[in-house]
Amino acid sequence: MIEVSGITKRFAGRHGEVQALQGVDLTVRDNEFLTVLGPSGCGKTTLLRIIAGLERADAGQVLIDGRVIRSPGPERAMVFQGFALLPWATILSNVAFGLEVRGVPRREREAKARELIVFVGLSGFEDMLPHELSGGMQQRVGLARALAVEPQVLLMDEPFSALDEQTRRLLQEELLGIWEKTRTTVIFITHSMEEAVLLGDRVVLMSARPGRIAEIVDVPLERPRSVSVDSIETSREFAEITNHLWRSLRTMQEPVMPE
Amino acid sequence: MTARGGLGTIRHATPRVWRGVAASPWLYRALTLVIGAVAWEVSARSVESILIPTFLETVDGFVRLGADPRLWEALFISNQALVVGFLIALVIGIPLGLAIGRFPTLERITNVYLNILLVAPMAALIPLLIMSLGLGFASRVVLIVLFAILVMVINARTGVRQVDAKLIEMARSFGASELQIWRRILLPGALPAIMSGIRISIGRAVEGMVIVELLMVSVGIGGLILSFRGRFQGEMLFATIFYVIIEAFILLGVARWLESRVVRAAGRTGR
Repeated sequence: MIEVSGITKRFAGRHGEVQALQGVDLTVRDNEFLTVLGPSGCGKTTLLRIIAGLERADAGQVLIDGRVIRSPGPERAMVFQGFALLPWATILSNVAFGLEVRGVPRREREAKARELIVFVGLSGFEDMLPHELSGGMQQRVGLARALAVEPQVLLMDEPFSALDEQTRRLLQEELLGIWEKTRTTVIFITHSMEEAVLLGDRVVLMSARPGRIAEIVDVPLERPRSVSVDSIETSREFAEITNHLWRSLRTMQEPVMPE
Repeated sequence: MTARGGLGTIRHATPRVWRGVAASPWLYRALTLVIGAVAWEVSARSVESILIPTFLETVDGFVRLGADPRLWEALFISNQALVVGFLIALVIGIPLGLAIGRFPTLERITNVYLNILLVAPMAALIPLLIMSLGLGFASRVVLIVLFAILVMVINARTGVRQVDAKLIEMARSFGASELQIWRRILLPGALPAIMSGIRISIGRAVEGMVIVELLMVSVGIGGLILSFRGRFQGEMLFATIFYVIIEAFILLGVARWLESRVVRAAGRTGR
C-alpha cells in the first residue's frame, strides 16, 4: 500500500514561486491500477517523481508498506514518456539495465530480459538498437525494462503520449492484458480522459495552481477489459464517467482573461 | 564522399571501373596536389630566387633528407616531447573535462581559465616558460601540453553535457549509483566527442612541438628547420616541413582508426 500524505512542493519559477503541489493526500491500494488525470501544470508528474524518489517534497511524506521513502528503491520501477532507452545499447541490454544496476549476474539478467522481450511481443529484436524500432516498440522496451525488475509498483509517466493514436490504442490494450496477468500496482499519469477511464480502477482528478486532488472517481467497468476495449469505450457507463470527468475538468479551467 | 553526387549525370555512360575511380576522393586529392605542384614549379621558376625552391628541387631535397640521419635524429628528439606532452594532456585533460561537464560548480571555477587559454596566443607564453622551466625538455613538454589539452577538455566536457538528462534520471530511478551512471550512461554517451577531441588535439600537439623548437629551444625538427634556413637551403627546409606533415597525417590516421574501433566497441557493450 502506498500512502501519500500532505505532499507539498514549490518550484522557483521565473515569476516567483510556483506552488506545484499543495497538501496532496492519496492512498493507493495493492494491485490497484490508479490513473492520475489533470490539466498540464497540475503537478501530476511532480507527484509521480516524488513517489519515485527522484524528487524531494517540501513537506509531507510517502509511505510504501509503512516505510518512508526518500530515494528510488527496488520495489518501484518507472516507465518514461520519452522512453529513455540507451541509444548505444541493444534492446536486450536495455531491458536488462535495471537488473544490471542491481547487480544481477549477466546470464541471469539476460535470461530474464529475454523472457520479458517475449512477454511484450518483441521476439527477434533482441540485438537491435532502439533507433531501429518504432516508437510503440521502443515503449514496449521501456515497459519490459520496468517489469524485468519485478516491481511491486509500476510508475508510468504519460507513457503513451508521445505515440500516435493507433499505436497508443494498441499499447493500451496490451498494457491491460499485461496488468491482468501481473496485477502489479500501477500509478499511471495521463492527460487523456479516455485513457484514464479505460485503464484505471480509480481516476484521481487533479486541479492546477496549486496542484491538488480535486476528486477521485471510481471506475466500476468490468475486468478483464483487454479483450473488449472497443465495446467498453462505446458503453454507456464509460460515457457517463468521462462526461463526469469532463464537467469537472471544465469547471477547473481558468476563464480566459483579456490581457 | 562529396564527389559522388556531382558526377550523377554521367554515371550511366561510364564503365564501372572508371565510375569507381571517379567516385573515390583520392582522385580529386591527387588532382589538386598535381595542380598545386605545377603552379609551384612555374611560379618558383619565374621568381628565380635562391630562397624559394622549385617543386622539383624540393622533391630532390625530400629524397636526400630521407637518407640523412639528421632528419631521423631530429624526429626522434621532437617526438619524445610530443609523446610525453600528449600523454600528459590526455591524462589530465579528459578527466578534467569529464568532471567539468558533470559538476556545474567546477565549470564556474574553471571557465575563466579555459577562456583565457582559448584566446591567449600560446606562443606568447614561451618566454614565460623559459624563465620558469629553462631551455630544456620540460619547457617543450609543457608547451605541447598547453597546445593539446584545451580541445580534450572542451570536447570531454561537451560530450558529458550532451548526454540526455532523461537517461541519467532513468538510471537513478533504477537505483544506479554515481559510478554506475558514469560507466553506463555518461562515458558511453560522451565517448564519440572525447575521441574526436583526441584526434583534433594531435594536430595541435604537433603544432606546439614545432613552434616551441622554432622559437625557444632549437633542437629536433625546429632546430633542423632553423639550420637549413641559416644555410639558405630552401629545398631542405621545405622537405623537412613535408616530413612533419606526413607524420601528422600518419598520427591522424591512427587516431581515426582508433576512434572508429573504440566507438564501435563501446556501442557493442552488452550486445
